[in-house]
Amino acid sequence: MRKVAIVGAGMTKFVRRALETPKELAYEATKTALDSCDLRLEDIDCVAHGSAPDAFDGIHQKGEYLADGCGGWNKPTMRVYVGGGTGVHAIIHGWHHIASGMFDTCLVVCEEKMSSAMPHAQGFFLTIFDAITERSLHPNLLWIFALEMNRYMQRYGYTKEDMALVAVNNKRNGLKNPASQFKDEVTVEDVLNSEIMAYPVSRLDVSPVSDGAAAIVLAAEPVARRLTDKPIWIEGVGWTLDTAYWGTRDLYYPRYLDKAARMAYEMAGIREPAKQINIAEPYDPFGYKALHHMEGLQLSPRGKTVELLRDGHFALDGNLPMCPSGGLLGVGNPIAAAGTMKVCELFWQLRGEAGERQVPGNPRLGVAQAWGDLMQVSSVVVVGN
Amino acid sequence: MAILERITRNIDNRFWDPGSEAFPVKNRYTAGMAGQRFFKEIKENGKIFGSKCQSCKITYVPARIYCERCFERLEEWVDVGTEGTIYSFTVVYKTKSGKPKESPSIIVAVKIADGLLIHRLNGCSVEDIQIGMPVKAEFKPKAERRGGIEDIKYFKPL
Ligand SMILES: [Zn+2]
Repeated sequence: MRKVAIVGAGMTKFVRRALETPKELAYEATKTALDSCDLRLEDIDCVAHGSAPDAFDGIHQKGEYLADGCGGWNKPTMRVYVGGGTGVHAIIHGWHHIASGMFDTCLVVCEEKMSSAMPHAQGFFLTIFDAITERSLHPNLLWIFALEMNRYMQRYGYTKEDMALVAVNNKRNGLKNPASQFKDEVTVEDVLNSEIMAYPVSRLDVSPVSDGAAAIVLAAEPVARRLTDKPIWIEGVGWTLDTAYWGTRDLYYPRYLDKAARMAYEMAGIREPAKQINIAEPYDPFGYKALHHMEGLQLSPRGKTVELLRDGHFALDGNLPMCPSGGLLGVGNPIAAAGTMKVCELFWQLRGEAGERQVPGNPRLGVAQAWGDLMQVSSVVVVGN
Repeated sequence: MAILERITRNIDNRFWDPGSEAFPVKNRYTAGMAGQRFFKEIKENGKIFGSKCQSCKITYVPARIYCERCFERLEEWVDVGTEGTIYSFTVVYKTKSGKPKESPSIIVAVKIADGLLIHRLNGCSVEDIQIGMPVKAEFKPKAERRGGIEDIKYFKPL
């Protein structure tokens, strides 16, 4: 397999309600990514794009619809979709295109416009639940998270205050991100005082509904070295899924991530991830999920993650900064675009281009991860400079 | 398989009204950066605009913010007039539930500059319609326009 590098990145602001059409959002991110590495569309061999449920943008076969906004006109173009995991999975998908030797350059673009769903995007999730055993109870996604969060808290004796620390950390980082849709700092009290949606999930434990797009440019090694002095290499990729039957799954430990992470680390030659990884961008649609995922990524011992967070281990200037971008909680959550945003962030961080939120000490290795489908799939990408 | 249900004639496979089981969520769309301006021109000025890519020599109708071929941002807006030619057409005889329509309706793809608008054709009998025929947009009275594609009532032969 050939070595693959990220040579450019771009994203739109994440916003509550964009005037742009989904195609136009995709174009803005793609154009910015191309401009960032001085490439033209004619230099691109293929497109790997991603978007979560068609229903969010309200366009069936959204991949085909989005293609020209992603630079896919008259090019080999393929959409990937694994729900919330899409944003990182699309990068693995693009990596395949180049690692295989088929193509030298690939655009990876992810877009989501959730504001089109009225009254709320949650309505579209009704049909992901089992039609016979669950749907008549009118479930929604919050139920899944609430059950997981409660089980996780009970398993390790954590409190809602412990879980609120994540929203505080990530939202604080997000304030330094020009793409963020937020402008206010949030305290533990704010999180605890925000209304309970489905116990134990409170409103500020949850990432927002957002519109946005993010894109990266991938290139094979010789092309990458010609294009830039600072290529960021994709060192490892991994993806797996756990059972879709909740009853046979650990709700307090993300087994769907354990194997995906080990797969990516093995490929990257990483034996001690907690010591070797310098920056982590775990998927954080809810506060507790970032902790869950730090454990699944083998970056924190099970049941010790809150202590490490309290000790500043995961702060911007800590040993292992968590979500320096601000994450989904701090920047916004246009589903597929949010995962790609995490890899954009690692690209900027490892090149020393992250501005105000730059992690000190010349970080060398970063890991990004996203989670989705029926809440049981995970995708992991390890990058290094 | 416990239930065997086989349709041997296509015509038996019909559209039905979902009635009260309709999905409890809908989508609301924006016209976008290009669409906003495109429909404002139709609504306020009765004009159809395209956007031109100088390097590809293509004028997109409806106007867009980018060229899909070279990815340049399109800044040059062009008034392409309100006339075009029939690029293709179809005549619709039945409703979606399979009942005969009171009168057949003609749907045309109208070529304007390098783009296509899909719309209705009026003022022309089914026998007389031809590909290549010149047509013109008939707008609703200004007070009735809402800033959408229905601000054009239909196209009619020149
Ligand atoms: Zn062009």
